[in-house]
Amino acid sequence: MNSVITVRKLVNRFGDQLVHDNLDLDVYRDEILGLVGGSGTGKSVLLRSILGLQKPTSGTITVLGRRIEYQQPGPTRCWGVLFQAGALLSDLTVQQNVELPIALHSDMPLETRHELASLKLLMSGLDLSVADKYPAELSGGMRKRVSLARALALEPKILFLDEPTAGLDPIAATEFDELITWLHDNLELTIMMITHDVDSLFGICDRIAVLVDGGVIVGTMNEILKSEHPWIRRYFGVPRALRARQAALGRAHA
Amino acid sequence: MVLMHGRGDEDMSDRFLSIESQPGQLLVNVSGCWVFDHVSELERAAAGVQPAEGARVTFQCRGLEDMDIAGAWVLYDRTQQLSADGFKTELKGIKAVHVKFLQHIIDAAAIRQYQQPEQHTGRPNPVYGAIATLGRNVAVRIEDVGRISRSIADGVRRPSLYLVGEVIKQVYLTGVQAIPVVVVITFLIGIVLAYQSSGQLEQFGAKVFVVDLVSISVMREMGVLLAAVMVAGRSGSAFAAELGVMQLNEEVDAMRVLGLNPNQMLIIPRVLGLVISLPILTLFADAAGLAGGALVAVGSAGISGLQFVERVAHSTDLSDFYVGLSKAPVFALLIATVSTLRGIQVRASAEELGQRTTMAVVQSIFLIIVADAFFATMFTRMGV
Repeated sequence: MNSVITVRKLVNRFGDQLVHDNLDLDVYRDEILGLVGGSGTGKSVLLRSILGLQKPTSGTITVLGRRIEYQQPGPTRCWGVLFQAGALLSDLTVQQNVELPIALHSDMPLETRHELASLKLLMSGLDLSVADKYPAELSGGMRKRVSLARALALEPKILFLDEPTAGLDPIAATEFDELITWLHDNLELTIMMITHDVDSLFGICDRIAVLVDGGVIVGTMNEILKSEHPWIRRYFGVPRALRARQAALGRAHA
Repeated sequence: MVLMHGRGDEDMSDRFLSIESQPGQLLVNVSGCWVFDHVSELERAAAGVQPAEGARVTFQCRGLEDMDIAGAWVLYDRTQQLSADGFKTELKGIKAVHVKFLQHIIDAAAIRQYQQPEQHTGRPNPVYGAIATLGRNVAVRIEDVGRISRSIADGVRRPSLYLVGEVIKQVYLTGVQAIPVVVVITFLIGIVLAYQSSGQLEQFGAKVFVVDLVSISVMREMGVLLAAVMVAGRSGSAFAAELGVMQLNEEVDAMRVLGLNPNQMLIIPRVLGLVISLPILTLFADAAGLAGGALVAVGSAGISGLQFVERVAHSTDLSDFYVGLSKAPVFALLIATVSTLRGIQVRASAEELGQRTTMAVVQSIFLIIVADAFFATMFTRMGV
């Protein structure tokens, strides 16, 4: 198993608040890693540090063998990011949003660019009738799908998802989970997702990373469920988590 | 990036496919990395597969090293085109992942149907369109101004502690913080006025009238006008941008839902704040303009300090000062209303925010100057 993202001795401190205290994390090739943690445990800070959007207090981060430096161009071509609210460019249509990274990174003919962008929209489960709409005209779920299409535009090897199913109804959330699994299986993607959707955690994540006490506890779902840590016990002990676990067991037996 | 021509081109195509022509069939050996980075070359290479009439086309993919969606699309697209042209095509030896799933998700026809939207769909008649837009704008503006004035009236009638606090904050942001820059520019303009006029007046031996010219023009016009233009640039843009971003973040909607009137919460403090701070800035501007004039008069025109003061007292009376000052609240009202209005009109996009902010500043300054012309006419007619 080789690690595509390596975080070593990461420290993030804001004033008196120590968010990450010598955190070590590996994300392996072709896995779906779910990242969970209570609010204020630094899920977003960790993601932003990996993406080079935030300067960690100390520590090293390597993505695909490349050292990540704050505000330095990272391996842009190799990763795609689905931001929580979509972060689509509001002045551009859906089609233009997806085409923009392609246009900036390739000199391919215009027609091929249109086709590839449309392809990514279709792959993200969108209908091409939305192509000429502006982000403000779309529903939240559709915006996420467009954002996913944009994240896939440059054929990334790693996909970062920030709460992909938050704010979606259960049907849309389940479909989104299926879409992520499908993309993962077909595109040989490594996926790191921040999520609080217990169904996603049980259903599609290969391993779970739990941010607690400034560090991280990583393992498969079964390992995590055996953990003695009080926060983890509470997290997976609440009724909705138990139901999700039941549902996942049911699927496994079926 | 270096594009190779001639022999190099041949080599490049060879990297991705080689064609063997056999009787009744065309064998295409697909090789190398069919990935996003090479799409342009792949397109060219794929377009080079031109079978003879009625030939079978076989794509042999055993030599394929790497492939991603983009590369798979180019290959798939070419096979589809060839099939559509009536050729029998076959893909052999391809690894399951890419092309297989392409085939079952893609309605290739749907993709090709996509056409770049016309950037600007032609208006039937530009003149008619422009008039219609103008009419609509005027109507909308009158309606908005009416709505805002009504909530201003409401707010003033029932002032709350919150409102008082916000107004004080706005006076600080738009007035107090602007004092240094307003003082500096009016001081400099005072100097410029004095220098420019002293040269001319000297020819008539009327150099001492420099003082009259500077003091009257600064008090009646320049002080308030420069302060207003500076405030339009500083605070007009700030108002529009603040309200615009709040609109984009749905903060304004949130206020509405919470039963708070955004007009009262956001617009009134800004309007009142500016109405208070612009007259204050005008006082500073007048003083600084006079000081600039005095500096030149004393320093280079040979007028003594005492003479300067005496001349100012003689040539200008209080009405000149009031004429200038009376315009300040009106200008402030124009700047604040136009800018907040533009901000609140932002609906969807970042580009719109920029446009509205620009509009806020441009229209504020435009209206200030129009109003000033109106005032000049009015005061002259009134004999003030």
